[in-house]
Amino acid sequence: MSTLDGPTVSTAAPARALVARNLRRVVRLPSAFFPALLMPVFQAIAFSGAFAAAIHLAGIRNSLDWFVPLAALQGAGFGAMSIGFATIIDIQSGFLDRLRMAPMPRRALVAGPLAAAVLRAVFPVVLVTAVGLIGGMNVPGGWLGLAVLGVAALGVGFVAAGWGLGLAYRMRSMAAAPLMQFAIFTAIFLSASQMPLALMSGWAKPIARVNPVTNILRMARQGFLGRVTWAHTWPGLLALTGLGLVTTLWARRGLSSVDRI
Amino acid sequence: MRTAPIVATGLVRRFGDVVAVDGVDLRIEDGEIFGFLGPNGAGKSTTVRMLTTLLIPTAGQASVAGYDVVRQADEVRRRIGVALQDAAIDPLMTGRELLALQAVMYGLPRREHRRRGDELLERVGLTAAADRRVGTYSGGMRRRLDLALSLIHRPTVLFLDEPTTGLDPMSRITLWDEVRSLNREGTTVLLTTQYLEEADQLADRVAIIDHGRIVRQGEPRELKAQVGAPTLWIDVDAAQSVAATEALARFGELRPAAEGRVGVGLGAGASGVAEVIRALDERGVGVRHLELHEPSLDDVFAEATGYHLEGA
Amino acid sequence: MIRETLAFARRSLIGRLRQPESLAPSFVFPLFFAALGVSSFGKAATRLPGFPADSYLAFSAAGAVIQGVLFGATAAASDLATDIEGGFWERMVASPVTRSSIVVGRLASSFVVGAVQAAVFLAVFMAFGVRVHGGIGGFVGVVVGGGLIGLAVAGLFAGFAIRSGSSEAVQGAFPLVFVLLFLSSAFFPRQYMSGWYRHVADVNPTSHVVEGLRQFVTRPLGTQQFATAWGIPAGVAVVSIGFALRSLHRRLAAP
Repeated sequence: MSTLDGPTVSTAAPARALVARNLRRVVRLPSAFFPALLMPVFQAIAFSGAFAAAIHLAGIRNSLDWFVPLAALQGAGFGAMSIGFATIIDIQSGFLDRLRMAPMPRRALVAGPLAAAVLRAVFPVVLVTAVGLIGGMNVPGGWLGLAVLGVAALGVGFVAAGWGLGLAYRMRSMAAAPLMQFAIFTAIFLSASQMPLALMSGWAKPIARVNPVTNILRMARQGFLGRVTWAHTWPGLLALTGLGLVTTLWARRGLSSVDRI
Repeated sequence: MRTAPIVATGLVRRFGDVVAVDGVDLRIEDGEIFGFLGPNGAGKSTTVRMLTTLLIPTAGQASVAGYDVVRQADEVRRRIGVALQDAAIDPLMTGRELLALQAVMYGLPRREHRRRGDELLERVGLTAAADRRVGTYSGGMRRRLDLALSLIHRPTVLFLDEPTTGLDPMSRITLWDEVRSLNREGTTVLLTTQYLEEADQLADRVAIIDHGRIVRQGEPRELKAQVGAPTLWIDVDAAQSVAATEALARFGELRPAAEGRVGVGLGAGASGVAEVIRALDERGVGVRHLELHEPSLDDVFAEATGYHLEGA
Repeated sequence: MIRETLAFARRSLIGRLRQPESLAPSFVFPLFFAALGVSSFGKAATRLPGFPADSYLAFSAAGAVIQGVLFGATAAASDLATDIEGGFWERMVASPVTRSSIVVGRLASSFVVGAVQAAVFLAVFMAFGVRVHGGIGGFVGVVVGGGLIGLAVAGLFAGFAIRSGSSEAVQGAFPLVFVLLFLSSAFFPRQYMSGWYRHVADVNPTSHVVEGLRQFVTRPLGTQQFATAWGIPAGVAVVSIGFALRSLHRRLAAP
């Protein structure tokens, strides 16, 4: 009795199983998850407090309106990127070999981790937004504004996860960790992250102007600074789609590089 | 004609300038337990990683269960079970969860997951520990779980990479019994080991690999016989040493004698012992003590590679 | 005792210089933040009435110094904790030297690293056009202040490290450094803050130390600056080194 002509394994089922495994890790190893959860809250509070006066110059009365969406995006990015660390641990422990020896489509080894990463990113985004709302953040854009923030943040999470996963598959050692963080950190900060473009000056301004993260931030923030408009939304969606495609491909190619070692 | 379950021809694997596997030829027949023997870094694991589709060979070919390991990797994966070194299992998951994950990855029908998992847990004696996190398992339990995981899809060919390294003697024997019983059920087994005793106990045939090349291959008994005849050592009264030596001479090559101790390489093998005793008796030589020393696999290993594997 | 201490300070210093990758972040990040801050808040600084410096660039020099020194000192502390995990005590107990000198030597090297960091940072800011109103005295004030801050923080973390003996516990204390740094006037003047955030920044000693350092750059030399930029870290250093040495003796006395 054997499964000689066994069933063709789908992508969805193993990907779902990998998501479940990853979310279980959150519950069973919470100490690894707390920093990703608390960092954005701290960042939102610290930036809103320290730079309140500078933000008032831009006509924004409550600095939380400006900095909570930034913290949500960054929290989502770093939270989701941690899938890269988890993957490196799997590579070093040999667990990835177990996954690679299964007759399932290779897509599952990209789709599963990416989906898990995006789900993990939900937690910091919800927490920092809730803290912002409790702290008196304005939401003129209403539910739609909150939903758009969610899309933007989870989109950033997706992009960051693809980047982290691809790097993990390529470097296969913890030396990849600072590189993962540094790239996301730089990409987010070299945008109109701290001040609106109009109030920026000097070297970082031209970079922020062309940085797609600036578009994503504009999309994320609009519901807290005014009403949600398509004009403020589509450039962000376009940026997320483009970056998402590139990083997914980067992750998929990374996995192939493991197979070609 | 059915091809053998594992066939490798001129398998080569380089990592940069390092040649880890340097032209390995293997043919493992249906229902065999094949022992792959060698020290750390000899190329055992690299060979297994190529045969199990984890590594692409630099040159040469291999087929497992009748399928090419590179071009038909998924077909191979469906048919092999693999327990790799160090039993890579997620310490945060329970045994049962890992079995369920493995079942999904091998496309088992949903309704079978639970039953198959329970069956395997029972088989490897982990039913009681099934819902504990693997991080709390002992080394032996982890290996047994790893074995169960590798069996989830009823593979026809089983690869065990150093399955007992680091285990205590009891756990080792339990695992050996399990491997034997799987083999009796028709599973072809390739196991790598650095323990000569393990190969001797389990394997129908062995290959010795050193510096990426196979230096000996065959049945353990046959390989040992090739190294040389078994030596019979006999303790006699010192005064009778000369008589004893004369009596022994016709049975084979004499070993250097010491005071009251004579030895001979038995050309006819161990079965010649009775005749030697009779010959000594005829000459009136009293035997005080008698010892038959068979060449071990370690002697085979030493003869093939120039160094001993054990005690090194 | 002093000779031994100096010898250990030298060895510890050489050890840290040999691992530039562990020191690099404490140089790169503060300068990156400062450069980014100039681009983000440079214009705002010119529009806010009564901004307490010539420019945001001049303002951010002190913040960069304290940030770099804090990061550097925490990295050193984690080194010490790693050492403690890896057989440090056995060697220590077996060694004929005065035991305190090993720890004090290490701490002394943190003073040197902090001072060097402060000097390098200030030189970079001056290269970009920052004028030190305190003159040579102001420059020395910043450099010695940087050293004292390094000493104070290193002493505090050394105490933690010796008491817990685990690098994980020490790393667990790192977020504290972020809190001390961000809930202060390191990146923006206190006068523009409001509400509870202002209260926290008011009582956070980091605010006062960083403002003292800053005034060496933005004002003519005065005693007020020495009192805060030197006095506070020196006071903390005395207490924290005492704490570290007490932890050490307690640990060595334990069976």
